[in-house]
Amino acid sequence: MFESLQQLITGFGIAVTVQNLSYCLIGAIVGTIIGVLPGIGPIAGIALLIPATFGLNATSAIIMLAGIYYGAMYGGSTTSILLNVPGETASVITCIDGYQMAQKGRAGPALAICAIGSFIAGTIGIFGLVFLAPPLAEAALAFGPPEYFSLMVFGFIVLSNVTGKSLLKSLMMAIVGLIIGTIGLDPVTGDARFTYGSVSLLSGIEFVAVAIGLFGIGEVLTNVDQPLEMLEQKVLVPRLRELYPTLQDLKKSIGAILRGTAAGFGIGLVPGPAPVIATYASYMIERKVSKHPEEFGKGAIEGVAGPESANNSACQAAFIPLFVLGIPFAPPTAILLGALLIHGVTPGPLMISQHPELFWGVIASMYIGNFILLVLNLPFVPLFANILRIPKKILLPLVILFCMTGMYTVNNSVFDIWMMLLFGAMGFLMRKWAYEGAPLLLALVLGPKLEVAFRQSLMISHGDFGVFINRPISMVFLLATVIFLLGPLIWLMFKKTKKGGIA
Amino acid sequence: MKKDEIFSVIVLFFFGAVTTILSLKMDIGTFRNAGTGMFPLFLGVLLMILSSLFLSRNFFQNKKAPVKGEPIVEIPGSTKQMIFFLGTMALATLFFNKLGYPLISFLLMLGLLRILGIKRWALNILISFVTAVGSYFLFVQWLNIPMPKGWIGI
Repeated sequence: MFESLQQLITGFGIAVTVQNLSYCLIGAIVGTIIGVLPGIGPIAGIALLIPATFGLNATSAIIMLAGIYYGAMYGGSTTSILLNVPGETASVITCIDGYQMAQKGRAGPALAICAIGSFIAGTIGIFGLVFLAPPLAEAALAFGPPEYFSLMVFGFIVLSNVTGKSLLKSLMMAIVGLIIGTIGLDPVTGDARFTYGSVSLLSGIEFVAVAIGLFGIGEVLTNVDQPLEMLEQKVLVPRLRELYPTLQDLKKSIGAILRGTAAGFGIGLVPGPAPVIATYASYMIERKVSKHPEEFGKGAIEGVAGPESANNSACQAAFIPLFVLGIPFAPPTAILLGALLIHGVTPGPLMISQHPELFWGVIASMYIGNFILLVLNLPFVPLFANILRIPKKILLPLVILFCMTGMYTVNNSVFDIWMMLLFGAMGFLMRKWAYEGAPLLLALVLGPKLEVAFRQSLMISHGDFGVFINRPISMVFLLATVIFLLGPLIWLMFKKTKKGGIA
Repeated sequence: MKKDEIFSVIVLFFFGAVTTILSLKMDIGTFRNAGTGMFPLFLGVLLMILSSLFLSRNFFQNKKAPVKGEPIVEIPGSTKQMIFFLGTMALATLFFNKLGYPLISFLLMLGLLRILGIKRWALNILISFVTAVGSYFLFVQWLNIPMPKGWIGI
């Protein structure tokens, strides 16, 4: 432990040189801007800027690219809160309560708590990285296909339970998302499925098109659906003292931030879109522990603080399998792996001993990067909040233009824009009919992985479904799923029996 | 249960049914070696079951019959505005590659602002022009994202 601390101090010595500080700053700023622009996520941002790092040494290059990664994570929450357009996949859950806070004139506190929560999560996450990396990475290796399948099923049930008013409706949306996720190539055999000769559909439905369509375009259409006089209503513009969180807000958020950090870090070690899963899990936890769960969905600050902290924490944790095992568990870290290889560094168990300056330098820079994000973004909270001063008649078309532009940049394909519009219309109808978009989106992301885990599990067990029950970790997740589903029902029956008994 | 809710669940039921039928046309395989169609088949059937459950649960719980004459989808009087809005976006997408990004962004803003009530042409053109130029410099020049050039050629 003391050796790790010593190494960390050395890492700070490497990270706080003028050169590396500058690259960290550039990465954080560029990452934030990229995160704010819908459609251009951290993956595209890192990929676009790899060529810019060719002239740098490996440590400086990774410091800058890592800065883009967590900068983009923060930037994505800005558009989620202000415009209900998720800047990137992990910001979807922030739309739920963050946007509602903005609608009530509390955009400033929402944005500020994102920055503060991310900073605290990042600080704690760094220490987790330093001290827990080896044993935690080993535990994650125990996950096989049955465990992933059971974990994802648990995630769907839990998410469907915490979003919207009807579990059945949310579950149906999750199934719809899973079905949409089957369009394209079969992930196991590679056969085309539901494509009907369309080349554009071979790669499936682009997630970003669905996310921006359901949340962004759907919200815009809901606004446009109102009479013109409603669009001229004054926006709740906060006063200066309302631009930052109150003491009450901070008190409410600190528990959520700490819980989100813990949940995000643990989930970040599991392969897959960990930041996305972490945000959903954190939201579920906050809603369950809250004394006022009815406030969720209407602007509960815990619903922003927890998920954003979980997001940042999961991003930190995702570096553990990358550096320690040489295995990228999330798409952005896959791009970082490519960048490391380009710079002649092979991550893995020997990386710490062979390139200690890179490992500890990047770890230390991540802390500095989080500090830079906090210092950069807190003063800009009033600027961001004032975006809401723009009349809706001008703001809505601007949102549409940026959504269409951002959508095109993903694959340079007009087909994606068509998909975005289609899902925008669907999002509008879903709002009319009180269906939640979050379960559909999570299902779309996890669907292919769920299917692969399911089919691999059955291949391993030669068609025996008992494989999901015979393995302890899988069994625990399935048991938790059943408890979650039946628990409220059993509790209701118990209360009725008790009432009947008293009567 | 409202009429529009019933309609939405029926739509979901048919979506599940179509998925099931189309999946049966693919290779289902066996449990030991699942084919391409097995997973969507499960999902289609599950969706049909859930939507049937929802309908039957609400049918038994809610004794009040749907009000006759209630519209299936309630849109409070701004249908025309929304259709024009959606139509403008669709047109912009249709001509995106042909007209090019700068021109399309200008025309899109012009159309949408007009629909939302910015009637003064001078103001409308000014906002549209500034937005188109600004987004061109941001995406094409600064971020170096390749966008269709179209007629203008930039």
